[in-house]
Amino acid sequence: MLRNRETGAFAGLLLLCAALWAATPYFATVDNLLNVAEQTALVGVLATGMTFVILTGGIDLSVGAIVALAGVALGLALRGGAPAAAAILLALLAGAACGAVNGALVTLGRLPPFIVTLGMMSVARGVALLLTDGRPISGFPPGLRALATARPLGVPAPALVMLALCGAAQLVLARTTFGRYVRAVGGNAEAARWSGVAVRAHTAAVYVVSGALAAACAVLLTARLDSAQPIAGLSYELDAIAAVVIGGTSLLGGTGTVLGTLAGALTMGVLRNGLNLLGVSAYLQQVAIGVVIVAAVLVDLALRRRADALAARRA
Amino acid sequence: MTRLLATLALFALAACNRGGDGGRPVIALVPKTMNNPFFVDMERGARAAADSLGLELVVQAADREVDAERQLQIVENLIQRRVAALLVVPSGSREIVPAIVKANAADVPVLVVDTRVDTAALRAAGGRVATFVGSDNVDGGRLAGRFVAERLGGAGRVAVLEGVPGHESGDARLRGFREALAASPGVTVVASQPADMERDRAFQVMQNVLQAHPGVQAVFACNDVMALGAVEAIAAAGKAGAVTVVGFDAQDDARAAIAAGRMHATVAQFPAEMGRQAVVSAYRLLKGEPVPAEQPVRIELVTK
Repeated sequence: MLRNRETGAFAGLLLLCAALWAATPYFATVDNLLNVAEQTALVGVLATGMTFVILTGGIDLSVGAIVALAGVALGLALRGGAPAAAAILLALLAGAACGAVNGALVTLGRLPPFIVTLGMMSVARGVALLLTDGRPISGFPPGLRALATARPLGVPAPALVMLALCGAAQLVLARTTFGRYVRAVGGNAEAARWSGVAVRAHTAAVYVVSGALAAACAVLLTARLDSAQPIAGLSYELDAIAAVVIGGTSLLGGTGTVLGTLAGALTMGVLRNGLNLLGVSAYLQQVAIGVVIVAAVLVDLALRRRADALAARRA
Repeated sequence: MTRLLATLALFALAACNRGGDGGRPVIALVPKTMNNPFFVDMERGARAAADSLGLELVVQAADREVDAERQLQIVENLIQRRVAALLVVPSGSREIVPAIVKANAADVPVLVVDTRVDTAALRAAGGRVATFVGSDNVDGGRLAGRFVAERLGGAGRVAVLEGVPGHESGDARLRGFREALAASPGVTVVASQPADMERDRAFQVMQNVLQAHPGVQAVFACNDVMALGAVEAIAAAGKAGAVTVVGFDAQDDARAAIAAGRMHATVAQFPAEMGRQAVVSAYRLLKGEPVPAEQPVRIELVTK
């Protein structure tokens, strides 16, 4: 049994998989499950960064727009003849830079994260449109595309990227001082400050992580579509927040795990896949996704209350 | 709580999975979105044809018209669903190419509807499509151009409201319009500016055009939404009725404006017919019959 907060998320995910396995023969095939893992990579990577931000009690609404801006930076660099590795590095730097501006405004400017990242959302999207004149960029040399088409050991590369980044993030949060301090800031910033935690530095850092991972998402997206669109990533921030919340991370900060977020992202990926396999109407799909987000959080809360009650009785 | 949710989920899924295949071949239509009456009409035509031919039709679409990544995911999922044929209206002419290549690899025939695929990108990626079913936007532009030239008696000043730069269908309409005007050297385009397919943008742009060129006698807008914005600007300038306004799409609002004499013409496409023709083509392909690579669907001028 997995411990604490992510238990509910994984239970919900398994439940959903069981229901789909019963409902359609096309769901529980190796091919389809790998397909879901590949499709989930985008939200999974984005939500991993969002987990850091939400753990500090903040929010990052700009990630969808940063996906567009970083993708455009990647596309322009590639079309300008840069080698794929250099173009990817540039995109990651662009994403991290947007995150650094967010972080600086939240900490030095003492502005609410909601406002800062709402502003960045508009600025990054606008710059992406300006740089491209509103048109998609395509016609890249074949190097980048391998990130979407390669299947080392039979597993799609985007899924491996997601697992690697989630694994690294989980280790950082669970095993390093940085991770402990990030959670401390979200749990009680005042107490953290008195304990000698550099609250501003850690708060600013999570926005850099979020921006850089949004850029990583942009790299995967651009490779998948073989095109960089300035309108890419619209409302991805909401998918990322939903994944984090389904994963059992508290919007108030302090508690939560990347593993839970991974379960949350997979839940949304599985659900969308299942609804397509079942041929559910496009309108009903929007309803179903909303219901599952709320239901997942309900189940999570119910499980946690029961665990708390048990612990209280034992004490 | 958990058990209740499980029961509910299973019930919901069973309810969604209505009908069952019953052994009929399943084909899928993937429009850009279902939040647009154009594609609702397309589904209606496709469904009627599928019912009469004994095919099961699945319709799946993204929430947003421009969400190419979601469209790719839907196509990937439908390939897993082992559909027999894929009818797709590309969200992006180039962005659809990876989806087509994946369908090719799974031996699912792809029929492209309404919006063309970028042929160079498709060829570079080694993809192939079975057919294109759709109206020729260039032809529609020509219809509008000939109407304007006739109304002006072969001589006069014309303004053009362009769509989003780089957007395939708007560009094609513009090209056709200019081509048709070339046959009447007396007609000159005095202004041609983008108004992003939006009503309030079109209102502002048209106000500016009327300031700069008070003698404008006709305006062509690449869609009806912009045409209606132009109508308002013309009325605000006190020139209602003095300027011929031609739009594109034959929306209900535009038809009403034409009936009321505020607009003069619009170009109608027939999405239900596109849906029908695409399903019939899929049926032929499944039976092993050949289908033409290009299947034009009629396009008509609507006037009072």
